[in-house]
Amino acid sequence: MAIAATKTRAGRPRAGTMLLYAALSAGALLMATPLLMMLLTSFKTPAEALRMPPVIIPAQPTLDAYRTVLTRAPFFTWFRNSVIVSVSVTALILFTSSLGGYIFAKFSFPGKNLLFTLLLATLMVPFPVILVPIYLIVNKLGMLNSLLALIVPSMVSAFGIFLMRQFVAAIPDDLIDAARLDGASEWTIFWQLIRPQLGPAMATLGIFTFMSSWNDYLWPLVAINDQDKMTLPLALSFFNTAHSTRYDLVMAASVLVILPIIVVFLFFQRHFINAMVLSGVKG
Amino acid sequence: MSTVTSSETAGGRAARQRRSRAPGHAARMRFVALALTPIMLLFFIFSFLPIGVSIFLSFYRYSPLDMNAPFIGLRNYIFAFTKDPAFQASLENTIKYVLIAVPLNIVLTLPIALALNRIKRLKPFFRAIYFMPAITSLVAVALIWLYLLDPQSGMVNGLLNSLGLPRRAWLGEPETALYALIVVAVWQDMGYNVIVFLAGLQTIPDTFYEAAMVDGANGWQRFRHITLPLLSRTTLFVTVLTTISYMQVFIPMQVMTHGGPLNSTRTIVLHVWDQAFQYLKMGYASALSVVLMLMLLVITLIQFRFLRTNWEY
Repeated sequence: MAIAATKTRAGRPRAGTMLLYAALSAGALLMATPLLMMLLTSFKTPAEALRMPPVIIPAQPTLDAYRTVLTRAPFFTWFRNSVIVSVSVTALILFTSSLGGYIFAKFSFPGKNLLFTLLLATLMVPFPVILVPIYLIVNKLGMLNSLLALIVPSMVSAFGIFLMRQFVAAIPDDLIDAARLDGASEWTIFWQLIRPQLGPAMATLGIFTFMSSWNDYLWPLVAINDQDKMTLPLALSFFNTAHSTRYDLVMAASVLVILPIIVVFLFFQRHFINAMVLSGVKG
Repeated sequence: MSTVTSSETAGGRAARQRRSRAPGHAARMRFVALALTPIMLLFFIFSFLPIGVSIFLSFYRYSPLDMNAPFIGLRNYIFAFTKDPAFQASLENTIKYVLIAVPLNIVLTLPIALALNRIKRLKPFFRAIYFMPAITSLVAVALIWLYLLDPQSGMVNGLLNSLGLPRRAWLGEPETALYALIVVAVWQDMGYNVIVFLAGLQTIPDTFYEAAMVDGANGWQRFRHITLPLLSRTTLFVTVLTTISYMQVFIPMQVMTHGGPLNSTRTIVLHVWDQAFQYLKMGYASALSVVLMLMLLVITLIQFRFLRTNWEY
């Protein structure tokens, strides 16, 4: 719109647009430089990574740092732990949120409004506030220092139920009543009629949940002690305390941690963006 | 007229009651009970109960190492505000952090969103670049910046040096450490707000701008009188969300500085974590987290107030 306007005025339009692209490119360079430096440093030799003044482009790129990270640290175990936790949490939250959202959208039962208000109220209490009690409860349940500790407390999401309820509300009641007249059981209606219609909402909630779970740090830091139970961000921090003078190793490990999520992001950019805009509603 | 409506609602109520006693009602209630009970139980154990326990524990001197946990009333709170300089530093640092980082974030992200909204080519490319740091693990980001800010081999000092400026131990000096961490945090999550602002900009109809141009409004006037007011809800929203998230900042401090030097980067959540899991003073840590909860509650209530008044236009 604004571009159309500048174009009508001769001479200036191109200059303005060029300036815009120049500014955006300069900003993009600033945004990308730290990530590029990480990538470049991961190919340096230990000495090169510590040289002063800093070396930007490695003279003799080497994969030694990656070799060391992958052989000397249980990297694959950490990766597997992260996948198990993030996939389980995402699948469980998608299930409980769509089921809960369906019930709060389409059923009336005593205490419904009270329960829903309580759920919404929990959105206002951020995780650090309940860190100590959660730790004590998970300890009582005997789940500390296991992957279960990372999965079980995250099986439900008030935000997820809230989001799904909005989407289910758009499905006409007549459709559900017709299925009931046809003799479908309540579970069949949920699984075969409601769930398939929530595709886009599921993709959004799924990506948002997977990303937060993959990057979670505070709770694993408190709940996990053993090296072989760690998920990637915790393991990365742990790895750094052990090798803090070896920037080549630390950067290679960082690349390995963030690469999977960047690849997923590049493939599903649109879904990521939607997830972020919607999660803004979360509060 | 009124009798008609009332008889209609009465009829509606009767119909609903008939339906509720109709066959299938029991099956529906069974479904609700069966499906919702485990879900609500999980919420009870991992959300409602912890909030209660947090408040409860804040009145006790509780440590998992000590069998004896006496009720001490408000003494945890009194201690926090009178005898714990590290907590007072953490309060001060957190507020300073929020007061600088939130405006900085918005001042940077709004122009980027405006620029992205105006270009036609390469938009997804630029959006991806600006968003990339936001999806990377904050731990990895902290480690990258630990390297970039290294006093000896870091690129930041290398760059300054080549410009003839003095090197500094950015994270090692109390005067600069918090600012360095602000730069890291803002760099990391600018992408979120760019996306939210872009979404907000796309809801403003083109016709508004066309009409303004017919009236001869220049670029600044269009921004000042159309974009800014119509974006005020988005801006408020972004401000509140960013504030709430920055109030809980923890990872950069825990990974990069451990709250130092001289507590100059200690934040509330870092102090809660320290007290609870390094010193095992869990009753005291609970009191600190209740203070954080109250602060966030106040911010949320202010948000609701603003949103209501803004709703009118």
